[in-house]
Amino acid sequence: MTDSGLPEKGSGYVAQILRDTFSRWGARLGLLWIGVLIFCAVFAPLLANSHPLLLSQNGAWQSPMLQFMTPNDVIILALLLITIILLLIPWALRRKVMAGLGLLFVVATLSVSFISPPQLTIYEQYRDNQNTGQYDWVVHAPIPYSPKDYLRDDGDTGLESPLGSEERTHWLGTETDGADVLSRMIHASRIALAIGFIATGIAMFIGLILGGLMGYFSGWVDMLGMRLVEVFEAVPTLFLLLIFVAFFSPNLYVMMVIIGITGWSGYARYIRAEFLRLRQQEFVQAAIACDLPLKSILFRHMLPNGIAPILVAASFGVASAILAEATLSFLGLGLVDDPSWGQMLNQAVQASTFNWWMAVFPGGAIFLTVFAYTLIGESLRDAIDPHISKNK
Amino acid sequence: MYSYILRRLLLMIPTLLGITLVVFTVMAAAPGGISAQSLIEGHMEPQAKQAMEDYYNRLYGLDQPAPMQYLRWLNNISPIGFTFDENNSVNGFSLFKGSDLGMSFRYGRSVLDLIEERVPITLLLNVLSLPIIYLLSIAVGVRAATQRGKSFDTSSSIAMLGLWSIPTMLAGVLLIGFFASDQYWQWFPTAGLSDREALDMPFLPHWGSMWDVLLLMFFMVIGLLSLVALSQYAKRSIRMAMMAGLGGILGFMMASDVNAGTLFMSVLLGVSGSVLLGLLGYTSFTALRTSLMGLLGIFLGILLACTLMQDEFVRGFLLDRLWHLILPVLCLTYGGFAFLAKLMRTAMLENLLADYARTARAKGLAERDVLWRHVFRNSLLPLITVSATLLPSLLAGSVIVEAIFSIDGMGKLAIEAVKGRDRELILSITLISGVLTLFSYLIADLCYAVADPRVSYD
Repeated sequence: MTDSGLPEKGSGYVAQILRDTFSRWGARLGLLWIGVLIFCAVFAPLLANSHPLLLSQNGAWQSPMLQFMTPNDVIILALLLITIILLLIPWALRRKVMAGLGLLFVVATLSVSFISPPQLTIYEQYRDNQNTGQYDWVVHAPIPYSPKDYLRDDGDTGLESPLGSEERTHWLGTETDGADVLSRMIHASRIALAIGFIATGIAMFIGLILGGLMGYFSGWVDMLGMRLVEVFEAVPTLFLLLIFVAFFSPNLYVMMVIIGITGWSGYARYIRAEFLRLRQQEFVQAAIACDLPLKSILFRHMLPNGIAPILVAASFGVASAILAEATLSFLGLGLVDDPSWGQMLNQAVQASTFNWWMAVFPGGAIFLTVFAYTLIGESLRDAIDPHISKNK
Repeated sequence: MYSYILRRLLLMIPTLLGITLVVFTVMAAAPGGISAQSLIEGHMEPQAKQAMEDYYNRLYGLDQPAPMQYLRWLNNISPIGFTFDENNSVNGFSLFKGSDLGMSFRYGRSVLDLIEERVPITLLLNVLSLPIIYLLSIAVGVRAATQRGKSFDTSSSIAMLGLWSIPTMLAGVLLIGFFASDQYWQWFPTAGLSDREALDMPFLPHWGSMWDVLLLMFFMVIGLLSLVALSQYAKRSIRMAMMAGLGGILGFMMASDVNAGTLFMSVLLGVSGSVLLGLLGYTSFTALRTSLMGLLGIFLGILLACTLMQDEFVRGFLLDRLWHLILPVLCLTYGGFAFLAKLMRTAMLENLLADYARTARAKGLAERDVLWRHVFRNSLLPLITVSATLLPSLLAGSVIVEAIFSIDGMGKLAIEAVKGRDRELILSITLISGVLTLFSYLIADLCYAVADPRVSYD
């Protein structure tokens, strides 16, 4: 293994396509929204938290927000930092990815083993103490409510329409159990992003390996593989997902794996078609004649030349993974306690009256996210397909 | 051709085996899985519980190892196979034992009965949606392709992408919340496919007197004629101004219909109504404009007639059913429409720029003939391919729609089956949707050969 990374030509092609894609306004708008989501996901504990960011009690400073940080919060923050630093370092892509994964692993083990927030959280204590004047001064988060803070200290809590009460500001209202909608939405952006990327990553990984082998070997491997693809395509994906989720207890990670496992067939089809085409070309024949190992032929020579259509499929795939999670949560088969947009939308239906803010805001967030990925996918397709773009 | 069909049919068997095997494996591998214990609910004395477990085990063979259970199930559904006596031991091999989908655990009824009851409902939803999807998407797609780069193309492309990205559940929740709940506009029913009293009504609507029917007809015709005339003969500026005014009035009326209506709401609805109808008046897409405006005219005529009618009116079973179907069908159609319209546009674009289209123009054919006789026909090919994948996706879509509107179709049955871990029902639904999907693939491939003489399967 040398440090040169991917072949110069291949990375140049992908880079060129990405440049072309993001010069279009549609893709830029999509990217902007996803940037907002990433910001919300990374800084969620700073943006929406019942624990004050900083307070002074009897002259001593303390930060409950830091005390109650979970390992997840730290890992996500570190992930952003690592990504930014690595993007600035002029390394080859391969080395960056390896270094990033390594650093992430270290941070994850460290934070899981050393960070333990207190088990018991009493959100009301801060408000009580502040009202009785025990604090010298308090710095609250912009939205001073945690996603699971049901405001039990306030007697008449429950449903509030956006900016509907004078005592406290809920920009987007509250749910029936008193939780702040905006705060829950900010924290749910994590789930949306994670599900989208990781589920698509899993699906793409399976699809690339199986599709690549099918396209490269053709013959009976292809025949068997295509039957497998057909098996997964002949049942509506949603139904397959429902079965998986109903029989395995749905936690976030199981959900990602399940959405990935049920969604790989499309990628396998695409990559198979690409590899069947590439297999006949001279540079692949040359690579075979040089007796290169199979891994090298498949992933260093063929893949960079066949990756473009997969990128389009992937960006639509991220959208459909987010939709899948939202749908499952909406049908009541998804995550139970964690805030997720689909689950919030479900609560809008469960409530005895129709409260528009419980449907419009989480539903709108799902819509915007799916729309953003779709816009990016469309721009990618236009950038890749020279036939259509030439006609524009 | 026949050998091709036969080969495809035979290839379906391993695929179907694979599908059921995957689903069965998921169920068997899950923690808890399927066992007699998971079927018994509530408190029971130990002996009674034991008896129930034995009963279930004998009935469904749940105490056997998973592979045996699967083979037993296969044997049950295949028309040829082994027969069993009371003690579950093989007592013979029969060619005519008939296939049996088994009994549903939860419902205690035969699966076949349940599915026979539910399938027509889902089919009704889909049969109504498909023509709407195809008609609209062909109209919009062809128009967008011929107007490439102009305002209609850009605006419709963005609108299609937007529509495609609206999650079905959001659309359903909003439609129910605003147009079916008593807080806003209670125009449509919230749930089900018909009201209880509608079951006792005659099939067709009835009016109290002949006078009312005449009144209704009169206003409908007047509304239709006036708006069609406006669409066809008025100048664009006049047309647009009149439509915008009409939209504004309708918006205000809508806002005043709500109990807790606010000033903000009337302004919002008035402005958006006038913008929407103004755009409809503005567009130069004559076919769409005239048909939509005609529909609007009929609708306004009906509204007006309803306020003037005095005698009682029985809406009848048919109208009641249609009234219940409007929102669900709307939810099912918009996504597929957006998807197909984009596809149609791409296909038309490719063919419009093809060499044969240029040749047709060069030999002097009118643009209309080039478009409809040459380009359009060739552009239908991708639509045929996609129609095969549209059916399964509509089935999946009806899962959500049926859940939101509580319609007792296949989709709702699927959710109930999955939530109740009803093994026989889940496997049967999987099998049936698999068969449906594979057959629609096959039919699409055959249609492809019919539509395109270059494709042959011999």
